[in-house]
Amino acid sequence: MIKKINTLKGINTPKGINTLKGINTPKGINTLKGINTPKGINTPKGINTPKGINKKGDKLLSIYWFAILVIVAVGVVLMVNSFYGKNYDVRKQESEILGQKVADCIYFGGEFNPLLLNNQGGFREDFKDNFLEKCSLNLTINEEFKRPPYYFEVEFFLEEDLRKSSLLISEGNKNWKSDCDVSVSGKSKLATCFNQEFFAKLNSDSVYLIKVLSIVGKVEENTN
Amino acid sequence: MNSFKGKNKRGEFLVENIIFIVLNILFLMILVLFLIKQGSGAVLLEDAYSKNIALLIDSARPTMKMYVNLQDLKEVSDKNGIDFSDILKIEGNDVTIKLSEKGGTKYHFFNDINVTAYKDTDPGREGFYILTFSKIK
Repeated sequence: MIKKINTLKGINTPKGINTLKGINTPKGINTLKGINTPKGINTPKGINTPKGINKKGDKLLSIYWFAILVIVAVGVVLMVNSFYGKNYDVRKQESEILGQKVADCIYFGGEFNPLLLNNQGGFREDFKDNFLEKCSLNLTINEEFKRPPYYFEVEFFLEEDLRKSSLLISEGNKNWKSDCDVSVSGKSKLATCFNQEFFAKLNSDSVYLIKVLSIVGKVEENTN
Repeated sequence: MNSFKGKNKRGEFLVENIIFIVLNILFLMILVLFLIKQGSGAVLLEDAYSKNIALLIDSARPTMKMYVNLQDLKEVSDKNGIDFSDILKIEGNDVTIKLSEKGGTKYHFFNDINVTAYKDTDPGREGFYILTFSKIK
């Protein structure tokens, strides 16, 4: 027979279990003198006593409260500054627009640009020389000693031989091309590259795979 | 006597809490105002709008006409004393947005096209700019 289960003196207190002095002892649970107040624990005078609220405790609480407010304010300011302090980077969209513009200049509406082709149905060599003018592109900046912040490259591959390009058109600053191969954590400090490829039919015979690579530098204007 | 002492203590309790709540509300208001001000800064708007307009021009083709809403810029330029017709300038292949005397952000576009930008005079479209595009001869 287990003695002293759920008695008024305590809860679940058969002898030997949880009856150490000071821990979960029946005396002092929810009594007017305090909560869980065996001698020595949680019995400072003045807390939740019928006489009123302890003012010293309140002032102490206010100091902690304002300290928390200051921490929150500092946190919010830091977060806002880090968000709005970053530059607005549009190079991804810009490189896509450049790539699309080059692609449309070469092949649009299911047909090659007639300026690109000769009478025999092949590609004209002089198209490469005036490519920018014919496609309404201006990659140069009106500042001295400043290289173009753009680069694009178009490669034509015959369907029969996809390993070797039959024609290559490139314009702009080729130094940006090496940034495309780098995969590092600080990649935003490098140029932004965009690749696209599509098939184009020349007359009824040849099908070309055309690969377009477009790169936008402009690192200073788009990063911190 | 005891009841008189008790009433005073209740009054102090109320005043302290009211001051505490008011200070908290003041703190939150300052934070919110700070957030709003940061989001509508002149430098931020200049940067964002110059780049966005440059991208619009890059995507444009000859004979196109675009209506660009710059009402947000108008509010800031009015505060800084800049006339609305001077905030957007296109020179060569550069777009410049200027919202303050010492400010101004420029961004280059690659589309080789003639662009004309002017303030929209339609009363229903106050704060708008019109961009027209034509081929370079």
